[in-house]
Amino acid sequence: MLKRSKSMYAYYLVWPALLIYSVFFVVPAIIGFYYSFTDWRLDRDTITYIGWDNFKRIFSDETLLLAMKNTLIFAIVTVIGKNVLAIALAVALNMRLKTRNFLRAIFYSPSILSVLVISIVFTPMLRTEGMINRMFETIGLGSFSQAWLTDPSIVIWTVAAVSIWQHTGFQMAIYLAGLQSISKEYYEAATIDGAGLWKSFIHITLPLLLPAININLMLTLIGGLKVFSEVFVLTGGGPGNASQVVGTIILRAFGEGSWGLGTAINTLLFIIVTIISIPLLIFMRRKEVAE
Amino acid sequence: MKTKTKKMTVSIVTALLAVSLAACGANNLSNNESGNTGNGGKGEKVTIELAISKSSQDSAFVAQSLLDEFEAATNIKVNLQLLPAEQTTTVLQTKLAVDETPDIVQYNLASATTDLNLERNFEILDNEPWVSRILNKDVLSAYGHVYSFHVSQDTGMQGVVYNKDMFKELGLEIPKTFEEFLAVCEAIKASGVTPVFMPFKDAWAANIWPAAAFADYAAKNDPTLFDDLNGNKRKWTDVPEFEKFLDQQYQVYKKGYTNADILSDSYDMAVGKFLNKEVAMMFMGDWLIESVSKQDPSLSLGLFAIPSDQDAKLGASPLGGQLFIPKKAKHMAEAKKFLEYIASKEVAQKIVDQQAYVSNLNDVTTPELPAYKQEIVDNYITPKLTTLTTDAFMLVDRSELYRSLQDEFTGAKTPKQVLEAWNTKFAELMKDKGVEGF
Repeated sequence: MLKRSKSMYAYYLVWPALLIYSVFFVVPAIIGFYYSFTDWRLDRDTITYIGWDNFKRIFSDETLLLAMKNTLIFAIVTVIGKNVLAIALAVALNMRLKTRNFLRAIFYSPSILSVLVISIVFTPMLRTEGMINRMFETIGLGSFSQAWLTDPSIVIWTVAAVSIWQHTGFQMAIYLAGLQSISKEYYEAATIDGAGLWKSFIHITLPLLLPAININLMLTLIGGLKVFSEVFVLTGGGPGNASQVVGTIILRAFGEGSWGLGTAINTLLFIIVTIISIPLLIFMRRKEVAE
Repeated sequence: MKTKTKKMTVSIVTALLAVSLAACGANNLSNNESGNTGNGGKGEKVTIELAISKSSQDSAFVAQSLLDEFEAATNIKVNLQLLPAEQTTTVLQTKLAVDETPDIVQYNLASATTDLNLERNFEILDNEPWVSRILNKDVLSAYGHVYSFHVSQDTGMQGVVYNKDMFKELGLEIPKTFEEFLAVCEAIKASGVTPVFMPFKDAWAANIWPAAAFADYAAKNDPTLFDDLNGNKRKWTDVPEFEKFLDQQYQVYKKGYTNADILSDSYDMAVGKFLNKEVAMMFMGDWLIESVSKQDPSLSLGLFAIPSDQDAKLGASPLGGQLFIPKKAKHMAEAKKFLEYIASKEVAQKIVDQQAYVSNLNDVTTPELPAYKQEIVDNYITPKLTTLTTDAFMLVDRSELYRSLQDEFTGAKTPKQVLEAWNTKFAELMKDKGVEGF
């Protein structure tokens, strides 16, 4: 009886889903893995196995290395930015404010916009004579003015900032859900024991919010490493190659007809994402506490 | 009982899935068959697919009226596949690689040789009935064969687009040397107008000056230069003049003769800048003049050669917008019929008249050209003062060169470093392509 209730559905029910998943995801992924060891190209009739050549080339190409550096900068900056701001927003909007629901909706709204819309809004604002620089000049901080999207040394940071602006609201929603599942009793007990707001936050809110932090860290990290659309619409990887990330480099490789190389970069991205995210996931899981 | 029902449901669902998957395959088969029979038989309606970049959707070959007339005359329907402009090349490459080929493709001949593997993927059209009537086969041919079709032979010219009225008001002459050009810029700047508009957010726009200047240099001083470069006998860094030409364009910017934010401004702003008389000149092709005069025919624009050197020649772009038939087209005969239809005297004459093309068919007459075009013909084409731009000689994708040109304008690369970077990338791409000598 007990055994029966444990597996309410028979295992074979998973077959259709597994079949579709295999045909459309697993098999192409494995085929892609094979192609990354070949010289598959637009103008070749034959595809030959060339061992690690594509990967050697990736690590000797300056632009590809720059793209990896940019991807890491983007991932780290957005993970920190999105999560710190989202927790702060969530805590603030979990308080009893009159405009609470209104503000939640406002902060969430950018994340439902298409990234193309974001680009159309931000590109003019970020021009050298754009709104942001003019704002700095008006309040007397003219020295803060930058060529946000055309200075090679800051362009990737600008794109990261735009991404943080867009997605923090989404992360905030997950944190809000996490906060609401924390029982008020802990805070009451803490107040009686004389803990202030900061101490309650460190010792109650943060530990009990860990499952939500976990999910958000994973989502933002993987999203950050796989970044493509924000860079593509805002700068196209430019000026020059200054804001190329792994995602846009893959497109470039395909555009040049180097399909084998493009697939190899893609495989490498997959491996990097896996190597970084799985240990992190295991580590964070261990830290979680039961309420 | 319950498990039995479940098992049944599952089997039915699985069966349905299997059938739907199989159906995809079957569909393809039957399509193919109908295509084959359609080749010979008449009466049965056949639909052919024409793939074209969204940026070329105004092309005369895909005007709805033309397609309707063709359908009425032949019972062949042309279905347009509009490809996103940014991804046209990638989508076409993929379609050709996975045998999901359209029956006709509109593309540029020069880019087709570098991007689409012309020889492997496209049908040779030497034996088509219209070929004998073609005046200028070169603009349709590669590797000694006719691979494409167009009713026009006007290749589009590249140089400095300028506002003639502004030049007249300020009493300026067309500059013949780089120094004269700088003087012209200075005079325009003094009048309160931006002398040159550089929309270098679009990296390719930064290539107009060098592409014409390099080609002019090679044509006059070094006729084997591009052969040597393509055979790895010489390197891009071996020609000191290249560095000079790259630096010239940079000087125009550095001396303050351009829009301020050149890397934020894009090509699509150009027409507006000329219409509002905010700018006087731009390094571009005569297609820009056409776009501007469509909006305001009273604005008088002209074109002169890039003044990189004394009496430089006007850059001629390779002809673009030709129609190609892929080797694996499912409806080859119908596709060829479409080209034949457009090439027929009446239809071709209508298109050439409407578009003011320079006709490429011996029985189709060239209409009266717009003033700017006639001027180009008189000043440059007839006295043979044009030369094909660098793009015509390149066998590989150039976008990395364009990106390096952007780097020059952020200050990240000197002209020398631009050429060094392109040297490396060029050798890599040529080697990948399997060109001898690399």
